Amino acid sequence: MEGNKEEEQQQEIWSWGAGTDGQLGTGKLQDEHTPQLLHSLSSFGPISFLSCGGAHVIALTPGGRVLSWGRGASGQLGHGEMVNGLQPKVVQALEGFAITHVSAGWNHSGFVSETGCLFTCGDGSFGQLGHGDCDSRCSPEKVAYFDSYKVEQIACGMRHSLVLVKGGQVYGFGSGKRGQLGISVDRVRSLSLPQATIGLDNIKIMSVYANGDHSAALCAAGEVHVWGRGFSGSNDVYIPQLVTPHYFRQAALGWNHILLLAADGEVFMLGGYGHGILNGAQMAAQMEQMCEKPDEGGLQKFHGLTGKKILQIAAGAEHSALIIDDGSVMTWGWGEHGQLGLGDTTNQTGPHAVCFNRTFNPQHLVPRVFCGSGFTYVVGMPADSKT
Amino acid sequence: MSYDDVEIEDMEWNEELQAYTYPCPCGDLFQITKEDLRLGEEIARCPSCSLYITVIYNMEDFSDSGRKNTTIEPSKQQPVAVA
Repeated sequence: MEGNKEEEQQQEIWSWGAGTDGQLGTGKLQDEHTPQLLHSLSSFGPISFLSCGGAHVIALTPGGRVLSWGRGASGQLGHGEMVNGLQPKVVQALEGFAITHVSAGWNHSGFVSETGCLFTCGDGSFGQLGHGDCDSRCSPEKVAYFDSYKVEQIACGMRHSLVLVKGGQVYGFGSGKRGQLGISVDRVRSLSLPQATIGLDNIKIMSVYANGDHSAALCAAGEVHVWGRGFSGSNDVYIPQLVTPHYFRQAALGWNHILLLAADGEVFMLGGYGHGILNGAQMAAQMEQMCEKPDEGGLQKFHGLTGKKILQIAAGAEHSALIIDDGSVMTWGWGEHGQLGLGDTTNQTGPHAVCFNRTFNPQHLVPRVFCGSGFTYVVGMPADSKT
Repeated sequence: MSYDDVEIEDMEWNEELQAYTYPCPCGDLFQITKEDLRLGEEIARCPSCSLYITVIYNMEDFSDSGRKNTTIEPSKQQPVAVA
């Protein structure tokens, strides 16, 4: 593989954090507190996108191939069996399709093909696979409901799924106990067939997000709507609610917080009370210093990032990560499994730079960060030499 | 501090573990056995980390019929020392 193109920058993939289900792709079943450079993916060529779930990872190649590894006990790896996978493996059942979008939930997975078909596998106990039953599946199966639609994206949460179809309509299925389906003002214990989300009519949706019992949608105009479990102990939201008054470029959902990257490059957080103080109260005061007093909507602006241009944000269940334009990767939040990659298991209430045994020179390698529940991946993407 | 309060109906019975479980943010599962519930235990722990949740349930649903476990003191939320 090496040297086939002169001096061409090779992609680099790093992982750290909780690893007891093989989700780090290191071939070991142990936590890692510092970034581990992976070699297990190099034989598959470059990776264009990763989605990290409860304890499994789905990778997408530029050619539309899908790889998966980590926890597979519910069939979420799509390899036709319900076992964990320590090494990345091609999802054979999808080999005939060019896959353009993937999402890893707590224990289920979703795949969208270039032609707009949706496939799901994994835990279906709450109807989150969308096949009209509550069975689990160990091979990706086409969701017949969307046969006459062109699916663009899927977002898999803990027990629910959101689908964005061409034309902008959002559908939800799975558990709606906390309002995360956005389909009705009532609690829905489980829904095994997709149903249209209400309250997002006439809005052009760019992206949908799901994690924990939360749901979110980013609109073309930059507005973000959230629904599902209430943040910071507030009431659950059954109909998508606008986060005011800012405009955003990106959103990232955790289990108790949402990170928002504003159009002007500033980072905001909604919820996240206890982010970084999960198992230790001593830092609560520090936490208050880090964030501005929340506005009436509960939105907090992050300090300590002033003057830094943020390129990307990501959120695990209880940790957060971001990429700065100088190529540095910063993390904060819960650190018990080493998911912050800072070399220990300490929690952090504010962003800290992760040390790699190299410096990402954004001229050559642009890092992108992806978070699973208790682990983190960074992919150094070779920068296009023309830009 | 309890990570969350979870109703027993939102927990899933895991045959292999012989316990009611609920997802833990570390990736593992909070677990509590029927015996724990019968004894009035309301804390479900994660075997992989220091977090725990408070399980909301009706103790009578788990106590042996004919024997009311009313003498068992309700376990109050206890502070757990964290290193």
